[in-house]
Amino acid sequence: MGDKGSDPASGQERDEPGADGGADLLDEMKALRRRARAARHAYWFPLVLFGLLTCASVPFYVLPRYPDGATQGGPSLPILGGFPGLTVQRFLGYYWLAALLGGLLLTLLWYRRNARRVGLATPARGYIMTTAVLTVLALVIPLLSQVRSPHWLSWLQQLQVLWPGDLVLRGTFPFVIIAAGLWVLAWAERSRALAVIAAVYTATALLSSLYDIGNVLFRLGWNPSGGNWSLTSLPNVLLPALVLLAAGAGAFAVQRHHRTRT
Amino acid sequence: MSPAEDPRLEQPEQAEQAGLEHPTNGLDETVHQRHRLGILTITAEAQRAEFGYLRDALGLTPGNLSKHLTVLERAGMVEVDKGYTGRRPRTWVRITPQGRAALAAELATLTRLLHRHTPAHDT
Repeated sequence: MGDKGSDPASGQERDEPGADGGADLLDEMKALRRRARAARHAYWFPLVLFGLLTCASVPFYVLPRYPDGATQGGPSLPILGGFPGLTVQRFLGYYWLAALLGGLLLTLLWYRRNARRVGLATPARGYIMTTAVLTVLALVIPLLSQVRSPHWLSWLQQLQVLWPGDLVLRGTFPFVIIAAGLWVLAWAERSRALAVIAAVYTATALLSSLYDIGNVLFRLGWNPSGGNWSLTSLPNVLLPALVLLAAGAGAFAVQRHHRTRT
Repeated sequence: MSPAEDPRLEQPEQAEQAGLEHPTNGLDETVHQRHRLGILTITAEAQRAEFGYLRDALGLTPGNLSKHLTVLERAGMVEVDKGYTGRRPRTWVRITPQGRAALAAELATLTRLLHRHTPAHDT
């Protein structure tokens, strides 16, 4: 498109479109759009970041051992940290609250840096807002629905209908929040590849939340916990992490290849 | 009846509906210039585009790009923000809803023009 000599202010600048000219112009615009879209893609970073944050959460999923007769207090932050009364680490909810909000902040900074470097800004605000709002809702809804309120605030208890049911049981609801964010990011990035990654990750997050993946491994004759039952939750955590890390590594390779080529 | 005598041509909307108006009549002089169309195409793809990216992608000199941006800015199709990143001056260009609509209309017109000239329409 190098036409450095044309004078924009002159009256002779209109390109009269013949059929060929129109087709060429449309092709040229498609190529510009494709190049701009590829240049601003930077979604490998949040994929890898949240994959690593999921790996770092593993110690919080090692089931606590209680002495005989001891009662289990359950998670301090229900929904983000699991279901009240179930056996999970007490600080899982706090970890995910910090990890999700910290991850979003780093992602925001990453997209700002990428915009300065490439010269094209991705509208990542929708992604940040969606994930942040879902995180805050997951934090606030249990608190409000369990609070002992005066009669005129009794409607707050109705908020229990917003609890996401069985998705909370295994303490893996943060994966669902990450999955929802990825769909919004795929839209912002206008990336079909990221939409496919979001679909695969959503399926994995739902599977991890609704089923003990360790059962599959048992049936295949492999006991990953080696008789240590406190580790049985780990396949449910490591599988989504693996999906994010593999997708992030693939996206990094593709985006780096594109940068070196252009 | 010649086109000039055709009463349907008295109202442009009716002529358009009757398929009698040539698609080139829908082309916007401001947008239908390949570099300005390129600027709108790139800025529609991102939240905002930096002056340097536009210059390199379109193969324009800084002066020429500035002139094109001035035309688009005066027409309300882009907004230009000048600022600094550290000590480096940066100029960011953002497409407006009006610019987005004009780009969509231009591309639709070009597509209609293309279809008009395909063999299926020539017969």
